[in-house]
Amino acid sequence: MEAQSYISLAKTKKNQKQNQTGQTLGYILVWACGFAAIATVFWIIGYVLSQGFQVINYEFLFTRPAGGVSGEGGISTTIVSTVYLVVLTLVIVTPLGVGAAIYLVEYAGDATKESKLVAFLVQAARTGVEVLAGVPSIVFGLFGFSLFVLYLKFGFSLLSASLSGAALVLPTIIRTSEEALLTVPRAYREGSLSLGATRWHTIYSVVLPTALPGIVTGIVLSVGRIIAETAIFWVTLGGSFYLPQSIMHSGRSLALHVYMLASETRAFDKAMGTAAILIMTIVILNLGINLLSRRLTARVSGK
Amino acid sequence: MIKRQNKVKNLPRVVNWLTKGLALLLGLASLAGFLSAVYLMINPGLITVASDSLFALNSIHYAIAMLLMAVLVGLIARGLWGYRNWARMALLTGLVLFILYYFISIIFMILSTIFAGLTVVPISSILRVVGMGLLFFLMNAGVPILLVYLLLKIEQYFEETARQREFVEKTVRYVLLGMAMSAIIIVILIFVFTMTEAWDSIQTIGLDTMLLGTIWRPGSIIGTENAQFGLIPMVVGTILSTLGAIMIGVPLSIGTAILLAEVAPPAVREVFRPAVELLAGIPSVVYGLFGMVVLAPLIRNIDVPRNTGFGLLNASIILAVMIIPTVTSIAEDAIRAVPREYKEGSLALGGTHWQTITRAILPAARSGILAAIILGIGRALGETMAMIMVIGNSIALPKPLTGNPLTLFLNTARTLTGNIAVEINYAAGAHRSALFFTGVLLFLMILFVNSIARFLIHSSERRQ
Repeated sequence: MEAQSYISLAKTKKNQKQNQTGQTLGYILVWACGFAAIATVFWIIGYVLSQGFQVINYEFLFTRPAGGVSGEGGISTTIVSTVYLVVLTLVIVTPLGVGAAIYLVEYAGDATKESKLVAFLVQAARTGVEVLAGVPSIVFGLFGFSLFVLYLKFGFSLLSASLSGAALVLPTIIRTSEEALLTVPRAYREGSLSLGATRWHTIYSVVLPTALPGIVTGIVLSVGRIIAETAIFWVTLGGSFYLPQSIMHSGRSLALHVYMLASETRAFDKAMGTAAILIMTIVILNLGINLLSRRLTARVSGK
Repeated sequence: MIKRQNKVKNLPRVVNWLTKGLALLLGLASLAGFLSAVYLMINPGLITVASDSLFALNSIHYAIAMLLMAVLVGLIARGLWGYRNWARMALLTGLVLFILYYFISIIFMILSTIFAGLTVVPISSILRVVGMGLLFFLMNAGVPILLVYLLLKIEQYFEETARQREFVEKTVRYVLLGMAMSAIIIVILIFVFTMTEAWDSIQTIGLDTMLLGTIWRPGSIIGTENAQFGLIPMVVGTILSTLGAIMIGVPLSIGTAILLAEVAPPAVREVFRPAVELLAGIPSVVYGLFGMVVLAPLIRNIDVPRNTGFGLLNASIILAVMIIPTVTSIAEDAIRAVPREYKEGSLALGGTHWQTITRAILPAARSGILAAIILGIGRALGETMAMIMVIGNSIALPKPLTGNPLTLFLNTARTLTGNIAVEINYAAGAHRSALFFTGVLLFLMILFVNSIARFLIHSSERRQ
């Protein structure tokens, strides 16, 4: 039916002209949508950067917030706290996530054939990753608040915050590492195994180095998510503007600082400055990811 | 056995001295640890216990820990004496941990002198602090670093037995299985902890009161006995802001997806796609700040009484921008996944490109696009910080400001996520429990929405 209507439509010239106008209108519509989306990106980023750069100077970057309702002072301690938070979270989550991915890609296939229990566990693990990826961040916050802050008595601290943050980025790390491991050609593994290497030896000396760029991409993605995350750290990190002296101390990340400046003080200019730093970090991370993945695809297709 | 004797014969004398020396040292350390553990058991008063510390430990705990350490160190010493590779690895791990500990404490020290002050620290004192830190580090970790270097150097003289290799294989397999279970364990922990905290409110306040009540008046504001915990205003606020975001964001996203997948030349796509993906990375507080500083004054220009600029409209616009990257990229993938034959068939029949898009490609990509929209809804439901910054956070059920029902969107409201984030830091008792119940409700809503999306994606994959 559809085909016939097309043919009859195409027969008359008038209809052809109508189709052409429809096509032009449609194109205009989608181009408008695309440009609206891009304009939004540039509007937000441009506005925040242009406003933010007015307050960013040497002193802003190297002194701590002074506290109080006027929002005086710089952001030095929040930068350092963010770095601590990112490093600590990655230290917790990277071995866990990469290890999980290694099991799911390298071992799960054989293991599920051998025993029913393992097959069930692997299925549960995969479901867990899918469910965890959809959990809203405030629920991670509640979880971290009740488990780490209250139950385990870590208090509002870098440790509580990074454990909760680790739960947030775990599915990201597992998925990207899994994808990276899957791109390693079978022949690599077979070659190494046939030389007499054990399985684990093959994995860490052949498979992991080959999959490294992909794994690093996942880690960089997670860094971006931790830097951008606020809700979790709002309920687990506390928000002290002093520099944390150990991982049991409270701190304040950059994103949290933006929120606290905007909601508790009138210092919108300083909030914009902090937001500009955040956006620049995110842009640099995104560029890094793009470069990494481009190199990765070039290498894979080059083979 | 024969193999090992062979190796030992070829040993350079330095390596032998080093290994035996280390083994002897470790043996002595083990002996000392053992003796002090025994001494501690006889004199429990040696360690004063801080009862309010994280883990309230007494001297018996310390003695047992010391005993275990002594046994471990003794085992390593014995293994090292016999040139066992596992002993070498264990020693290496211990040394690296020791070095890392000092490295981290030095970093903390240096950064806290440079960045913690209210005034800028001059370069000269930064250099002094860094130099001192380096010296301190070398003093404490210099010998361990040297040992690590030497242990790495003499690897060839250590033997890895087949039994050890087998043991490693097996252990690694189980450890990795444990790691793979981490995600599901966290999911279970989330369920257990939020549910146990929320259980109190289900018992004392009641499920029906919370799910059907239209008034939210936590006790900390008006006294505990009159407190009411109805979640309907927040549910309505969440649904309305999400609905607004869908109405604004989805047409824009699908238009962009069509543009990127079908219409735009590759060069444009190279620029547009990363730019749209950048939106996903921008922190939500930055969107919130933008809404407060830029959008709120713009919305305030709409001439309606009691219009503050903060409210559902502001929240919907911000949310719409936030869901654009999610919806666009998944919808684009869905459009690209449509088999080439559909497009070619339609074009061959004389349809224009636009007719092909609207009548052949979009219907075929329908379920994928629907999944994209639903995942966008999931993202919008879970958004927290941007919402509490722009939506006004009023606890009343949102109503139109004037006779015109559209002014509903100019009124302030509160989302489920915002309800938790605004009040959790000072809530206690039934109030806190009710907030955890809010979290459970939100979690279930998002789980439901996401499972619909997953079902759609799977079913469309199966059909192809």
